[in-house]
Amino acid sequence: MSVDERTTPGTAAASKAERRIELDRYSSDLRLSFVDWAQKLHAGPRIAWNDTHGGYWFVNGNQEVFDVARRADVLSNDAVRYGGIGIPAMDPAARGGVIGGFLEMDPPRQRYHRNALNAYLSPAAVARWQPVMDEITRAAIDDHIESGSIDFVEDLANVVPAVLTMGLLGLPLEDWVIYNEPSHAGVYTPIDSPDWPRVQQLGIEMGMRTLEHIQRARTHPRPGLLQAVVDADLGDGDRADDLEVIGVVGLLIGGGFDTTTALTAHALEWLGEHPDQRERLVREWETLRDSATEEFLRFYTPAQGDGRTVTQDVEIDGAHLSAGDRLWISWAMANRDETVFEDANEIRLDRTGNRHSSFGLGIHRCIGSNVARATFKTMLKAVLDRMPDFVCDPTGTVHYETTQVINGMRFLPATFTPGQRQGPGVEETIAGLQRVIDSQGLAEPVTVRTGRGTPG
Amino acid sequence: MIGESRMRIRVDGEICQGHTLCAMSAPDLFVLSDEDGHAQAIHEEVPAGQEDRAREAVRSCPEQAILVLSDEPAVGAVR
Ligand code: SF4
Repeated sequence: MSVDERTTPGTAAASKAERRIELDRYSSDLRLSFVDWAQKLHAGPRIAWNDTHGGYWFVNGNQEVFDVARRADVLSNDAVRYGGIGIPAMDPAARGGVIGGFLEMDPPRQRYHRNALNAYLSPAAVARWQPVMDEITRAAIDDHIESGSIDFVEDLANVVPAVLTMGLLGLPLEDWVIYNEPSHAGVYTPIDSPDWPRVQQLGIEMGMRTLEHIQRARTHPRPGLLQAVVDADLGDGDRADDLEVIGVVGLLIGGGFDTTTALTAHALEWLGEHPDQRERLVREWETLRDSATEEFLRFYTPAQGDGRTVTQDVEIDGAHLSAGDRLWISWAMANRDETVFEDANEIRLDRTGNRHSSFGLGIHRCIGSNVARATFKTMLKAVLDRMPDFVCDPTGTVHYETTQVINGMRFLPATFTPGQRQGPGVEETIAGLQRVIDSQGLAEPVTVRTGRGTPG
Repeated sequence: MIGESRMRIRVDGEICQGHTLCAMSAPDLFVLSDEDGHAQAIHEEVPAGQEDRAREAVRSCPEQAILVLSDEPAVGAVR
């Protein structure tokens, strides 16, 4: 192919025609036939033109995802100009002017926001929260340990990330209840469901609550992520207005809640189905903890993908992308690519070289990845310690109908040999933890604390 | 063979996004910034006996941000 042909407008159209597929990512078919779809697409086209939802590139191969995701120079996440990261694109006006925080921005604004938050979410910053994570987890389990039955989603995996996220934000821990339902329901409810208006309403109420917190933060500063967003210098002293802060806080909540819940639930479901592997994980926890975590992340990819808009004509891995084209980066499919992961559709707790893209790649890498890993490990370890013989009930297990946003679960009931309570339940524990967080200034950024020595 | 290592590595700070997998596979070879979790190789020269861990870190880095500046004959020979 000559250079001329590559640059003629006809070639972009030809590229789309050659690579055309039809895949409804809002259908449960994609979830249920995921492996078939991934294998079919990995055979080619690995950057496909998906003729649904207005047409968009569906990037699915591992190398292709790697090559595309890091091209922030020719791709945009911007919600205002291009409709953001949803497919189909969503006009900010249709969502009350709120956009998805810095995940729907481009640099430099995106970078200013992230820089303001890094010191709250780095490995060192997150390590300070370990005692809090342990304590919420203990309490959530204690609420059920004597009964011998629990719903791993509702009673554990929803609770711990939510309470912790409130703490990180600097919001009252007890507010987790207000944020909990809309954060999950907003993800799993299909947009054509009759329940959607109600869920949207809950989301609006949650936004109003956030607005109250923002307004208070402007007059009564309180350490935490929310304050950091309010105070962030976005270049030349520019600050975010209320709507922008609501968007960023919404992103942190959306990212903090449902994703870790989804990962934990799936891992527990799998371990329940594979008691030999569960025993192995218990036995070899110290050596397998990290590799098992990365493997569950790879295999169950909580956030399945992200949308982008192409900002200039470009060829990537042979596909001719045109300015204005929409594009979906499927982290989930990249994670099942046999050319990179041997037996990609199997879980191997000791997998090495596991460079999965579950936290995204490039400049938009999940800023909460350290929180997610730590929270997941804490919950998993506590379950293995305290209910090692749990059996999940498949008849009561409910997966999200589709993987439109998150590969999640609504219910995962389980039974186990009852055990001894170790302390108070969630409600009482939260009140105690609130005092600890406030008195130790845990929600402050890590840089502030380093000078004073790290807490034991 | 335990002897002098000729393996040298460096993290490209422009590419690293702070995924922390390098420090997970080779905690003695990489430090993470307290502030943003981005990695640096503690010593450019990999201490003898740690080469396999270094290679595992290279393989695990989602951004492929770890450069192998030099290695013994089996450069990049990943299993
Ligand atoms: S694994 Fe790669 S991207 Fe992550 S911290 Fe290490 S060098 Fe940086």
